[in-house]
Amino acid sequence: MATYPQEYRFGKFIASIVWVVLWIVIIISLIGLPIIFVILFYVPLPPVNGEVLTPYLFLSMMVDPTRTLPIVHFIIHTDIFKVAVFPGFSFAALFAAVTIFVERKFLAKMQLRIGPLYCGKIEGILQLLADGLKLIAKEIIIPSGADKPIFWAAPIAFVATSAAVVALIPVAPGWVAANVNVGIIAVFAILGFFPLIALLFSWASNSKYPFIGGLRALHQMIAFEIPFFLSALSAVILSGSLNLTDIAKAQHPYWYIFFLPISAFVFFISSLAELERIPFDLPEAESEIVAGWLTETSGMIFGLIQLGSYVKVYALSALFVILFLGGWAGPQIFPKELSHGPTAGLMGLLTLQGVYNGVTVNAIFWFVVKTFGIIMLMLLPRGISPRIRIDILLHTGWYKLIVLTFINMFIALALIYGGILGPGGLLTGH
Amino acid sequence: MPAQTVAQFTPVIYMLGFGVLASVPALIISRLLSPRRRYNPVKFLPMECGQMPTGEGRSHFMMQYYAYILMFVVFDVMAIFLYTWASALFLIPRAATLPIMAFLGIMFAAMGYALYLAGRKGIW
Repeated sequence: MATYPQEYRFGKFIASIVWVVLWIVIIISLIGLPIIFVILFYVPLPPVNGEVLTPYLFLSMMVDPTRTLPIVHFIIHTDIFKVAVFPGFSFAALFAAVTIFVERKFLAKMQLRIGPLYCGKIEGILQLLADGLKLIAKEIIIPSGADKPIFWAAPIAFVATSAAVVALIPVAPGWVAANVNVGIIAVFAILGFFPLIALLFSWASNSKYPFIGGLRALHQMIAFEIPFFLSALSAVILSGSLNLTDIAKAQHPYWYIFFLPISAFVFFISSLAELERIPFDLPEAESEIVAGWLTETSGMIFGLIQLGSYVKVYALSALFVILFLGGWAGPQIFPKELSHGPTAGLMGLLTLQGVYNGVTVNAIFWFVVKTFGIIMLMLLPRGISPRIRIDILLHTGWYKLIVLTFINMFIALALIYGGILGPGGLLTGH
Repeated sequence: MPAQTVAQFTPVIYMLGFGVLASVPALIISRLLSPRRRYNPVKFLPMECGQMPTGEGRSHFMMQYYAYILMFVVFDVMAIFLYTWASALFLIPRAATLPIMAFLGIMFAAMGYALYLAGRKGIW
């Protein structure tokens, strides 16, 4: 009979679990509870439902399910919730995860790959989890001579910057983390940081291939940033506003893609270039320069950069939907009101007793559907398209796309001055 | 009014902070879970497809498309200027579009000349 070493005994396993539980209890009671009490007793809480939210009221509301709703209603309209959960980070990260999952299945179908289709028996659902576990359990190797602080900070900056783009994207009327007057310019301003991060990271990693990749990222930016700016300009001309919510609302009867098809095309192409996706993946061309500016990344550093780039995919396709596809506009398929007044039982719970707003849910539904359609269009070239050469890239950006955006800009001007769109125009909605 | 404009941007800053808050634990957990084997110095050499790396990682690199970078600096500013005009298009009189067209004409002439120069060999 085989003898096990002392440390593999079952008792030791139980003891280690008990220790972990004990530590968790100690940490919660020493740090977590004091934090909760400090917040409850010392931070001035806002009035909820006409009453000032005292700790006693808060606890009694939390215990009684029927009285929880005002708190839920209050919390989902705070800035923190908007930033952290719904139109903000968690929503975008969920979108990114679904995008990665769908992209792998999509490419697996196109290129006869096995894993993403069958891993985990049900539709390859475990592939994503396996990827995450693999990345998080891998050793992070920093090449000798690398600039360590920048090497650690760049992936964090990448995720944070793409999250900052998401903060400006409206999902439904009123559902935007930062409702900025100059929203579209702010989006472009934040997007301008990405080549900077790529260049910093490639310089910090003290290696040749990342360096070449970083320079290519810079070239790609200078080739496609101007058409990217100017293609969105036509939408601004037609709507007369820089606020993204206003631009989406201004396309009430007719979406701008009907008037600005060329701009939409240019915007799509240049957002592919901005995202470094396949026809334009020169900065990470794996058959030429190993993995471009990601050559020296390993483990979770690579994982975070991937997360950031997929959050960016969500942000840019959402921007396309807002600028050209009418944002959240769509036929009302959800009932406007499920219940008049508070209802008891399961139905009341499902509809959140009045928090449920059919119009908002409908808006979010159409926004998600359209955004996902654009994401699928962005994934498509990865399976079917080769990479283009860098001089053709610059040539396309400067000689062709800019001219195309100006053609559509003059069409937009003609539509306004011909009295078809704009205030008092033939096709202007009310 | 400026204070309000700044206050509009605070969620962007929150979002930036939240991105940092969400990504730092991932790196820390990865550092805790992953193995750290540091006995092989070859592992920490810069990647050069299995060969011993030669030369320096950070070197001078020929920027072949320098002319485009110069043009970018000009046209980026022009694009933002056009945005300010476009957002006020409904408020200004129609005649005010003519100077913009003249401006665009000047920019296009300059761009055509710059692109002509950028296409020529042997001057950069």
